Amino acid sequence: MTHRPYTPWLFLLPGLGVCLMFTIFPFLNMIVLAFTDASALGGGRFTGVDNFVRMAQDPKFWLAARNSLLYMAGVVPPLVLLPLLIAMLAQKVVPGIGIFRTAFFTPVIASAVVVGLIWTWLLDSRGLVNNVVEALGGTRIGFLTDSTLLLVSSMVVTVWRGLGYYMVIYLAALANVPKDLHEAAMVDGAGPVRRFWSVTVPALRPTMVLIAALSAVNGFRVFSEIYLLSGGTGGPGGASTTMVMLIQSVGRGLTGEVGYASALSFVLFVILLGLLLVTLKLNRREDQL
Amino acid sequence: MKRRTFLAGLVAVPVAGCGLSGTSGGGSTTGGQVTGEITFQTWSLKPKYTDYVNGVVDAFQKQHQGTAVKWVDQPADGYLAKVMADASAGSLPDVVNVPPDLSFPLAKAGQLVNLDESAADAKADYLANAWQAFEIPGKGGCYGFPWYLNTGPIFYNKALFSQAGLDPNKPPTNFRELEEQALKLAEKKIAILGQTPSIADFGLYGVKLFENDEFTFNEPKGVELVESYKRMYDAGALIPEALTQNYTGAGAKFMAQQTALNPGSAYDLGKFKTDAPSLYANIGISTPITNTGSANMFLHGVSVPKSSKNQATALAFGRFLTNAENQVEFAKLASIFPSTSKGGDDPYFTTEDGTDEARVRVAAAKQLKTAVNYTPVQFSDQMREALLQQLADAMLGKKSPKQALDDAVAECNRLLK
Repeated sequence: MTHRPYTPWLFLLPGLGVCLMFTIFPFLNMIVLAFTDASALGGGRFTGVDNFVRMAQDPKFWLAARNSLLYMAGVVPPLVLLPLLIAMLAQKVVPGIGIFRTAFFTPVIASAVVVGLIWTWLLDSRGLVNNVVEALGGTRIGFLTDSTLLLVSSMVVTVWRGLGYYMVIYLAALANVPKDLHEAAMVDGAGPVRRFWSVTVPALRPTMVLIAALSAVNGFRVFSEIYLLSGGTGGPGGASTTMVMLIQSVGRGLTGEVGYASALSFVLFVILLGLLLVTLKLNRREDQL
Repeated sequence: MKRRTFLAGLVAVPVAGCGLSGTSGGGSTTGGQVTGEITFQTWSLKPKYTDYVNGVVDAFQKQHQGTAVKWVDQPADGYLAKVMADASAGSLPDVVNVPPDLSFPLAKAGQLVNLDESAADAKADYLANAWQAFEIPGKGGCYGFPWYLNTGPIFYNKALFSQAGLDPNKPPTNFRELEEQALKLAEKKIAILGQTPSIADFGLYGVKLFENDEFTFNEPKGVELVESYKRMYDAGALIPEALTQNYTGAGAKFMAQQTALNPGSAYDLGKFKTDAPSLYANIGISTPITNTGSANMFLHGVSVPKSSKNQATALAFGRFLTNAENQVEFAKLASIFPSTSKGGDDPYFTTEDGTDEARVRVAAAKQLKTAVNYTPVQFSDQMREALLQQLADAMLGKKSPKQALDDAVAECNRLLK
C-alpha cells in the first residue's frame, strides 16, 4: 500500500478546522482585545496596558479573584476525597449497586439550570431546608441572602454535582490497583484502614493529583452554580461574584466593555495555566519518586 | 427585568383568533421605491402569534406589489446576543424588533435610521410619550417606530392586608402610604415587597433621573426613597431575597403569597387565575404607586438599520406593522396596548364588561395616556446591576443611602462614557 504523508492530515482536518475557528481564533482575538477599549459595537482603540492597570485598581476584580480562590480551596478537598470513598463503596459487587452508582452519577448529566433551580427551592428563605430548620425550633438561615453562605451553598452544589464524575474516574483507577498488593498487606496483618492509606492511596496518587487539578480549574472557573443561586446578581451587593461572573457581567450586552472583559479573561487564563503547570510539576515529581 | 416579564407575558398569552385584515396605508417614507425583499426580525412571537404576523406580512405584500418580507423570529433567550452579533457584523435585519434601551446603543453607534428625517410625518401617528421613548435625549432624532406597550396596576393580597388590620380596600397609592402600610404589615411578620427599588421606581417617586448628559438620581429625593426602603427593610417589610431579586423573582414570591404587593400587568391576572387560584380569590387591584401622578410604561418598537439595502421598503413595513389597525388587532390577541395615538380609542380599551380582565384593561389604557417610560434609555444592564448592588449595601447598612446612591451614580456615569 502506498503511504501518502498527507492522509493523516485529511482525517485531522475537520477537527482542526473546528478547533481553529471556535477555540484558537477566539483565544487570539481575546488577547488582542485585552489591549483595546473595544465595546460590543466597535473594534476599539489600542490602549496598551490600561485595562490591566484598571484591573489592579478595581476592587471588584480583587473581590472576584478572592472569591474564586476561596471557592477553589473549598471544593478541591471534598472533590478529591469524597468521590474516592464513594467509588470504593460503588466498587463492591452487591445487589442493587447499579442504583447506587446511577444515583451518584445523575447530577453529572442533569442540566446545570435544573440543578440550580432545585437547590434554589431547597435553600430559599422559605424553602424546604429552612422549613425543616424552623420546624426543629431554629431560625431561618440566609443560605442565598448572606454573601458568605451563598458561596458555601454554591460550593456544596459544585461538590454534589462533581461527585459522580470523579467517582467514575476513581472507579477506573481502582480497577488498576494490583490485587496482590492488598493480599500481601492482608497477610502482613494490615486492616482495611491501614490498607487504604498504605496501598490504595499511594496507588491512586496520580489520579488524585489529576482530580485535584481538574476540580481546582473548574472551581476557579465556577459560574453556573453561583449565577443560578444568586439569580444572576452575584449575591447581595455582588459580594459573592467570582471571576467568570465578573467577566460575564462586564462584557455582556450591547453596552458591554469587551476590551476590559477580555483583559479579565486573559488574567483568568494565566492563573489557570499556572495552576496546571504546578500540577504538571507535582505529577512529574511523583513519577520520579 | 421588567422588559423580560413583559415579553414573557406576551408570549404566554394564547392567541384567541388569527388572521388580519390590515389594509391601511404604510405611510409615506422618503427615499427610494417600496419594492424588493426585506427581512423582519421579531422577539419571541412564534408560535403564539405566527398567524397574526403572517397576516400582517401578507397584507403588506398585497398592498405593495413587488415586495417580499421574510419574517425571522428569534427566541427570547439569546435575543440580545443575536442583535449584538448582527450589529457587530453590520448585518442587522432590515426591520428589527427592539425596546428603547436596546435601540439606544445601536443609535448611538450610528447604526439606525433617524425616523425624524426618513419618516418625518410618522410622528403624529403615535402617542407622544411612545415616540419620545425612542429619541436620544438631548441629541434629538427618533430611532424606532413605537410598537406594543404596556403598563399595569398593582396587585395586592387582600387577605394579608386584613391579617395586619389594614383596610383591604385602601392599598397604598403613593410612596408615603407604601411605607406606612409596609411597617404595619411587618409588625405581623408580613413582607410587602419582594425587591428593592428599580430605576423606574425612582422616577415614580419624582426623582430627577438624568440631566445634562449624566445620571442624577442621587439627588436628595433619591436618598429619601432609599432611606424609606431601608426603614422598611430593617422592619422586615422586604423579604431577604429582595436584595438580589429581579422583577420575575419578586413576581414569583407574590404568587407564593410571601409578599403582599407587587406591580403587574393585565397578563398577570390570567396567570394568577390559573397558577395561583388561592391568591386570585384574594386579589386586590389598584392604581400604580406613584408620587408623580403618572404610571410607568414599557414598550417595544421596530427600528431600521442604516445597513439595510432596502430602506424604503423597511421603513414602509415598519410603519405598516405599527399602524393603528394592526396594533389594535395585536393588542386584542395579547395583553398589550397599542402605541398609536388613535389605537386606544377602540371600544375594547374604553368599555368594561364587568370582568376583572376588562377592568384592568380599561384602567391600564386610561393610565397609558399620561404614562411615562421612566427607565432612561441610557440605563443599561450593567447600570441596573450597579444600582441593585449599591442598594443591597445600603439595605445591609454597609453604606449610607447617600453613599450608596453616590457610588451607583458614579458607576452609571462611568459606564455612560
